[in-house]
Amino acid sequence: MNETLFSSLLRAIGVHLVYTVVSVSFGFLMGLLLGVLLSHLPRLSKVIFPILSIFNTVPGIVFIGLLFLWLNARPATVLIALSIYATFPVLKNTYAGLMAVDQQYKEAARGCGMDHWQRLSMVELPLAMPTIIGGLRISTVYTVSWAVLAAMIGQGGLGDFIYQGVSSNNNTLILQGAIPAAVLAFLLGSLVDALQRRAMPRGMRKAGDGQ
Amino acid sequence: MLRFDHITLHYGSQTILDDLSFEIGEGQFAVVIGPSGCGKTTTLKLVNRLIQPDSGHIYLNGQDIAEVDRVSLRRHTGYVIQQIGLFPNMTVHQNISVVPKLLKYSKEEQDRIVHELLELVGMPYDQYAFKYPSQMSGGQQQRVGILRALAASPPVVLMDEPFSALDPMTRRTLQQEMKSLQQRLNKTILFVTHDMEEALELADIIIFLDHGKLVQAASPEEMLEHPASGLIQDFLGKHQPARSSADLTAADFMRTGVSTIPIDHGIKESISKMQRRGVDTLIVVDHQGRYQGTVSIADIRLTGHVVNTIEPLIRCSTPVVEAGANAKDCFDELISSGFPYLIVLNPDRTIAGIITKTSMASAMAEHLWG
Repeated sequence: MNETLFSSLLRAIGVHLVYTVVSVSFGFLMGLLLGVLLSHLPRLSKVIFPILSIFNTVPGIVFIGLLFLWLNARPATVLIALSIYATFPVLKNTYAGLMAVDQQYKEAARGCGMDHWQRLSMVELPLAMPTIIGGLRISTVYTVSWAVLAAMIGQGGLGDFIYQGVSSNNNTLILQGAIPAAVLAFLLGSLVDALQRRAMPRGMRKAGDGQ
Repeated sequence: MLRFDHITLHYGSQTILDDLSFEIGEGQFAVVIGPSGCGKTTTLKLVNRLIQPDSGHIYLNGQDIAEVDRVSLRRHTGYVIQQIGLFPNMTVHQNISVVPKLLKYSKEEQDRIVHELLELVGMPYDQYAFKYPSQMSGGQQQRVGILRALAASPPVVLMDEPFSALDPMTRRTLQQEMKSLQQRLNKTILFVTHDMEEALELADIIIFLDHGKLVQAASPEEMLEHPASGLIQDFLGKHQPARSSADLTAADFMRTGVSTIPIDHGIKESISKMQRRGVDTLIVVDHQGRYQGTVSIADIRLTGHVVNTIEPLIRCSTPVVEAGANAKDCFDELISSGFPYLIVLNPDRTIAGIITKTSMASAMAEHLWG
C-alpha cells in the first residue's frame, strides 16, 4: 500500500467518522427531545408516528439527492441528511421506552411530589434508558453505512473508494472502502454496547423490573 | 384534621362519589372499605390531588387542599401503593430519601432520616441501605415503601391496599408493624382495603362506602354491634359477634324438626311413626300444636294393648325449657336431669325443638370455630 493511498484512506476514515459521530450526536439529542415531547402528547404522537414511518421509508440516497438540490454540495448537506436519519431510531425507542415505564413507578413518582421534570429525570428516563440506548445503537450502525452516500455528492468519506471502485470496476478499491466501513460500524456498535451496559440502572441489571 | 365536605365526582354519566362527607381526627387510623368500584381508592387519591372532585372540599388541618400547590401537597402527604412502586434504579437509601431530597433537606439530614427509619422497622442500615429493591423480598420492599412515605414526617399518610399483594404471613406481620408505627409516630392514616379482617385489625374508624356513598363511619366495635346495612353485615361475615356466651339461648343450641304427634292419634299410628323416624319417643301436641307431653315405645309395649289412643300414656316428666332460656342453664339441666334431651318451647307453648347432647356439642363447636 503506497503512502498516498494510505493517507487518503486515513483521511477518508476520519471524514467518515466525523460525519457519523456528528450526525449521530445531533440525531440522538433530537430523537431524545422529540421522543420525550411526543410521550407527553399521546394524541399528537398517534398522528405523527405514521407520518414519520412513511418518511422513514424514503431511501437515504433519494433524500440526500433532494437536499443537494436545495443546499448544494457541502458537508452541511450530508450532516443534515444523516442527522435526520439518525433521529428516527432514537425517537422511536425513546417514545417506546417512556411509554413502557410501569404505571406503578409513574404513580409513585407523582405521589412523592415530583414535578414533570423530576419525574422524567429521576425515574422515567433512567428506567427507559436501556431502550433509548438500544435506539442509539441502531442509529450508529446505520449512520456508518448511510455516510457512504456523502461521496455521491462529492463530500468524501469511505464512499469515495466504493464509488470509484464501482465506476472503474476495481474490486480492490471497493474493498478498501467497504472493509474500513464495516470495521467502523462494528467498533462504534461495540462502543454503544458498552454504554448500554452502563446505562442499565444497577438495580435492574439482574432481576428485570425489580418486582 | 382531615375532613371531606360534600365531595362529588362523576366520570361521564357515572357517579363515582356521591356527596361524600366524613371527618378523621388527628392520629386516627381510618380504614376505607367497600365492595370493588365503591370509590375507595378514588377517595384516597383525592387527598393528594391525583384526582380532582367535581364539587365539594377537602380540608386538611382546616385548609382547603384545592388551594395548596399540588406538588407541595404531595411532598407533605405520605403515599403507599399496592404495587409498592419502589424506584428500581435507586437503592433503599435513595428511595427513602426521595421526598426529603425533593424538599432539599441537607445530605446529613437525609442520612439521619434513613438511619432512623430503617432502625424503626428492624432493618439494619449496613445490611439494607444500599440494596436495590430487586434484591429484597416483597415484604421488605413494602416496609421500605412505607418508610419512603414517612420520610418527610407527613401529618397524613395515604395507603392504597398496601398489603394485599403480600403473602398472608408477611401481611400479618406488616399490619402489626404498621399499627405500632402509627401509634408511636402518632400519624393520621387513611388506609384503603377490601379486607374486613384487616380493617377490624387496624382501624380506629372504619369508613364503609358503597357506590360512592358513605354507608357507615364507625369504630370497629360499633360497626360489629350495629352494622348499618345488610351489605356491611355480609362484609363482616364471620367477624360478626361472636356474641358473648352469656347471650346464647336455648334456641341457639336446639335441634329443630322433631317428631310430634297429635294427642288424639292412635297407638298404631304412633308406632309406625316411631318406626319411620327411627325414634323411641314422640312429642305429643294438641290441635294448636301446643306441648302436651311425650309418649314412649316402652309405655306402649307395656300398656298399649288396653288403650286405643295415646292420651293415657302421655308422660310429662321430660324437662321443658323456654326458647329464650339461658344456654348454660339448659346445659346444666340436661346434664343433671339425666334425660337424653330437653324440650324447647316457644312462648305460646308450641314446640321449638329439642336440645340433645349432640346438638349442644355441635352448636358449641360452631360457636368456637365458626
